[in-house]
Amino acid sequence: MSNVNCILRGFLLLIVIAFLVTRALVGHAASATVPDAEALLKRSDTYRNGWPSFITHVKITNYESGKPDEEKLYEVSQKGTDKTYVEFMSPREKGRHLLMLGDDMWVYLPDTSRPVRITPLERLSGDASNGDVARTNYAADYTPVYLRREKMGDVDCHVLELTARRKGATYQRILYWVRVEDARPLRAEFYLTSGKRIKSATFDDYAEIGGKTLLRRFTLYDEIRHNSHSLLEYSATSARDLPDKLFYQGRSDRF
Amino acid sequence: MKRVHLVPLLLLSSALVAAVAQNDPPAPEESRYSTRYAVAVIDDATFYGNGKDPIPKVLNQLLLEPTFSLKYRSRWNFSTSLIENEVTYADTAARFRVKETYAGLSAGDFDFLAGRKMVRWGTGYAFTSAGVLDPPRDPTNPTDRLNTNEGRDMIKADWVKGRHALSAAWSTADFARTGVTVRDTTAFRYNVLVHGFDTSLIAGYDRGSDAFGALTFTRVLGQAWELHGEATWRDGEAILVGAKYTTASGVIFIGEFYTPPAIPYYQPNCAWPLTGRQHCGFFNVSKSRLRELPGWKEWDLSGSVVTNFDDRSYAAVFDVNRWFGKHFSSYLHLEVPRGKPTSLYGSAPYSTATSVGIRFQL
Repeated sequence: MSNVNCILRGFLLLIVIAFLVTRALVGHAASATVPDAEALLKRSDTYRNGWPSFITHVKITNYESGKPDEEKLYEVSQKGTDKTYVEFMSPREKGRHLLMLGDDMWVYLPDTSRPVRITPLERLSGDASNGDVARTNYAADYTPVYLRREKMGDVDCHVLELTARRKGATYQRILYWVRVEDARPLRAEFYLTSGKRIKSATFDDYAEIGGKTLLRRFTLYDEIRHNSHSLLEYSATSARDLPDKLFYQGRSDRF
Repeated sequence: MKRVHLVPLLLLSSALVAAVAQNDPPAPEESRYSTRYAVAVIDDATFYGNGKDPIPKVLNQLLLEPTFSLKYRSRWNFSTSLIENEVTYADTAARFRVKETYAGLSAGDFDFLAGRKMVRWGTGYAFTSAGVLDPPRDPTNPTDRLNTNEGRDMIKADWVKGRHALSAAWSTADFARTGVTVRDTTAFRYNVLVHGFDTSLIAGYDRGSDAFGALTFTRVLGQAWELHGEATWRDGEAILVGAKYTTASGVIFIGEFYTPPAIPYYQPNCAWPLTGRQHCGFFNVSKSRLRELPGWKEWDLSGSVVTNFDDRSYAAVFDVNRWFGKHFSSYLHLEVPRGKPTSLYGSAPYSTATSVGIRFQL
């Protein structure tokens, strides 16, 4: 009888030990495979914001039915996560400027007698909206949640769901695919408050600039008018010490 | 020394001191000079319908508008914008105007400027009472369709620190062209962005006239609303309240209500001789780039009504613009004033004014 008890006790002890070991292993594995979404997002932002203060040139080519029909040029000056100043350089838009300060945005039009405050909805106009050019710091604008790991073609990706955390965010929700290897952004889908998917994007090309890997080209697809897309190309990106007063909303001599 | 010269002398001496004090080298990657230029050529023909006076029925204007700006090391800048206007009406005359020409110095937290410059202190779209140095607003043409507004000749100093900015400006009327009614003006402005309110306090005086003071604000509410307003005291209170609403499809509605005191300063926009305080309204709906309609991506549409609630006169304005490639556009501007012959808008010497034009931009 005592032998039976010994066997049973030993068996129970083994089960308890096996349970504890399994639980520890599974728990460790789970915590190791669910990455920190906030850290991933911050790292992915570095591919579009190489320095705390920098300038870059953006060329946007709009395509209709696969044919290029319009080209726009911008000079973007960015400081920190909440100050962006955009000068419009193409002939059709010369003299226009856009200023983003935190949640607030102004547009300076040569034919309007005052700086115009623009509403969040106005940030969405166009294939590539004001927000697409001026707000590239997703970690400041959105709260990320880790969804899953999946393959995009041959590439392993983390999928993040970003939800607007401040009213200055351009979109209400973004689904964001970043490469497992280095958190490099590969694809995004942009949604309105209504849940409607308005745009999607592919991050097509990166380049080494000033010792940093930076986004050089990405494409925005209009999900409402499916025959339309915009190619955004970044060039002449460099660190620049920009004065705070460049980002003062009352400044009228904008060049 | 006359007191009136004290403000410009102070501003000039501050600029000189700042220029001498600033000898810090620029960032190495920044280029020494940068330039911007633009050229616009506009041919505009206006046809007047049912003219009440024996006036020519067609006014043709050919405008050449070059603009050039030069910046040296983010510190010095020079900008000039000129207008050559050939007008054919009863006869043909050429006019040359200086829209803006100024030199500026940026030193630390200070910016100094001297020359002819357009400042934009008012927050109103069609009307303003607080924009004491602004170009004049015309509610039937708030976008200055032909780009012919001119700046004021001034010396100005700005101090910008964080979200706070102080400006001091002294403007002289000595160089104003004949026909432009301005006085020597000294004005100060404090501007701050706090809790989303872009707020300004303005104070100053016109030489030979009374002092004035004003408060302005703009604020964005939610996803679609922008509110703006002005309250000014100048021989009586002037009030402006306005709002802008944007739909998800990009249609923009702007409405404004404005009531200035009945003094010559505010004429002819909503102030009319011998009629007491007037109350005016402005409503505009516009959509730029009708991209939702196949083949209409290059079209911009706008329609406005400006009305005087007291004499019940109004003017309806309709604008269509169409782009052709990167550099060319054409437009139609239709203005239909209605009201009694003695009213603000009914007194116009025509029943319709239709302008068509072609614009080249480089």
